Amino acid sequence: MDEVAVTAFFQTLVQGLLTGGLYALIGTGLSLIFGVMRVINFAHGDFLAIGMFITLALFKAFNLDPYLSLLVAAPLGFGLGYFIQRVVLSKLGDRLGEGSMLATLGLGLIISNTLLLGFGAQPQSINVPYAINTFKFAGVQVSISLLIAGLGTVLVISALNLVLYRTELGRAIRATAQNPLGAELQGVKTSNIQAIVFGMGVSFAAIAGVLLMPLLYTFPTVGENYVTKAFIVTVLGGLGNLPGAVVGGLVLGVIESLGAFYVSNNYRDAYGLIVFLLVLLLRPEGLFGKTVKRV
Amino acid sequence: MTAVATPPARPRALTFGNVWLSVILVAIMFIYPFFFGKTLNFGISTLLFAGFAMSWNILGGWAGQTSLGHAALLGIGAYTMTLLATPERLPPFLASPLAPWWGALVGMVIAVAVAAVWGWLTFRLQGSYFALSTIAVALVIRLIAINSNWTGGAEGLFMPDLPKPFGFDLFDRQVEYWLAFGFVVLTLVITHFIRRSRMGYALQAVREDEDGARALGIDPARMKLLAFMLSAALMALGGSLYALYLQAFEPHTILELPLSIQIALLAIIGGRTTIQGPLIGALVLSIFGEVFRNVFSNANLLIYGVLILLVTLFAPNGIMGLFQRASSKLGTAR
Repeated sequence: MDEVAVTAFFQTLVQGLLTGGLYALIGTGLSLIFGVMRVINFAHGDFLAIGMFITLALFKAFNLDPYLSLLVAAPLGFGLGYFIQRVVLSKLGDRLGEGSMLATLGLGLIISNTLLLGFGAQPQSINVPYAINTFKFAGVQVSISLLIAGLGTVLVISALNLVLYRTELGRAIRATAQNPLGAELQGVKTSNIQAIVFGMGVSFAAIAGVLLMPLLYTFPTVGENYVTKAFIVTVLGGLGNLPGAVVGGLVLGVIESLGAFYVSNNYRDAYGLIVFLLVLLLRPEGLFGKTVKRV
Repeated sequence: MTAVATPPARPRALTFGNVWLSVILVAIMFIYPFFFGKTLNFGISTLLFAGFAMSWNILGGWAGQTSLGHAALLGIGAYTMTLLATPERLPPFLASPLAPWWGALVGMVIAVAVAAVWGWLTFRLQGSYFALSTIAVALVIRLIAINSNWTGGAEGLFMPDLPKPFGFDLFDRQVEYWLAFGFVVLTLVITHFIRRSRMGYALQAVREDEDGARALGIDPARMKLLAFMLSAALMALGGSLYALYLQAFEPHTILELPLSIQIALLAIIGGRTTIQGPLIGALVLSIFGEVFRNVFSNANLLIYGVLILLVTLFAPNGIMGLFQRASSKLGTAR
């Protein structure tokens, strides 16, 4: 390979890894929720859209730097998730399996259509000068906002790991994931834990939305694209398997990036879908690990 | 285990085999154009969506397999009819006044074949996993439509000028209303027929308890596959009528995930375990949508979101479930 081809390859790879980092963040939220509650959240993409629109609204109203919107979007996402689990999902009882799918589908429609009423269908973006900046590292162009997004993902996932493995709350979450009845008997308030976990998952989606906003334009149904990415990521890694979700996100980002560059950009979204179907059919427990590992 | 036969653990599935309710609904649809001739567009789209919801329900309700990818089958019908409606694409002996209907027929055959492969691949997946796989398959089909030349790509297709079989102009709203009416009646008759057939009982058994059904000698995979193929054939037929009604369409309007979700939700909100539920769901939601059209403009799916949330929380068997609960309180339940 000549030098140009090598640089192009690394360029594509870096691009894929950084995008994959964001997919990992979205997928981690979905996987966490599934791991603890056995709920597949079909509204996950719409929570991401909420993060994007909060950033957009704050930028328009106060000219607020997009990354400062995290201070609003993250807690708001947590509160929203906590509330939804308490008011909707916890009421489904033994119908949680099918019921949560329909309920989250409904919530997603409510969110996207409310955004449509509030903001209109036009794609909108924010204009911050540094967002389009890039720097060169060993001949590879790296976008600043994509790098910030990648670092943000690493931070959030590290923080989640600290919470899960170093705190009492994390212990309670892991116990609830492994055996809700047993945890309850040990004095864990599992209903509260489930609400906290749903809040965390929604918060991650909203954070991902904020991190994406400087890079992309947004519209009310933007979540649709990302919810499928999140499904792919979690199934690749194994539903409920958090390290798997991270690796799954990176794998998806790289597959898309390489496929788009070397095969055809038109079918960018198809590569992930095909891998997704293959994994779903051949290894429903995910690419990694022999059994479905939980949180 | 004791020798005493225990009653089934789940509540008895709602069945509403009531033919009279269907007759009343068909009568309402029959007299509609004579009273509301000015709002035929509303009538046609309502009927088409009612037919889609009932077609979806053969797999989604009777077999209990929640598909979120049925728009792909609808799209196959629409695309095939439109492509084959161009006379040059047909052998001369078929390019008769019946031309568009050959396309509809071929579309149904293709949809059945696609459903057979699709189901064969994905029926090993349970519950939400199956739903996820249907989204993926439908999205792949959508990507093919967007990126191929013969489908018109992202710009979609125009229905060409059509012959007028027996003097009927297929672009006349009056004619289209009766075609849509025929589609709904056909779907309704087929669902009634299935309900009373061996296949209907087998499907319900599979839905309620797959292992139990297998123990009774039912092959769940085969039953689900049959339901999927029948559902696909009707979906494709409806899709070709939808193409006639739209006259021009693009992947965005006919193959997107929200359309699949919309069709599924019509059936679920109306009552997926019943025969007339999907029909009633489509009628009720169309009327709601029409009433709120000025308020919500293009946020028309908001009402679907609210209703599916309410139904999930308070009426697991949909509008028909509420209806039956009310009528059993009055002591008139069957």
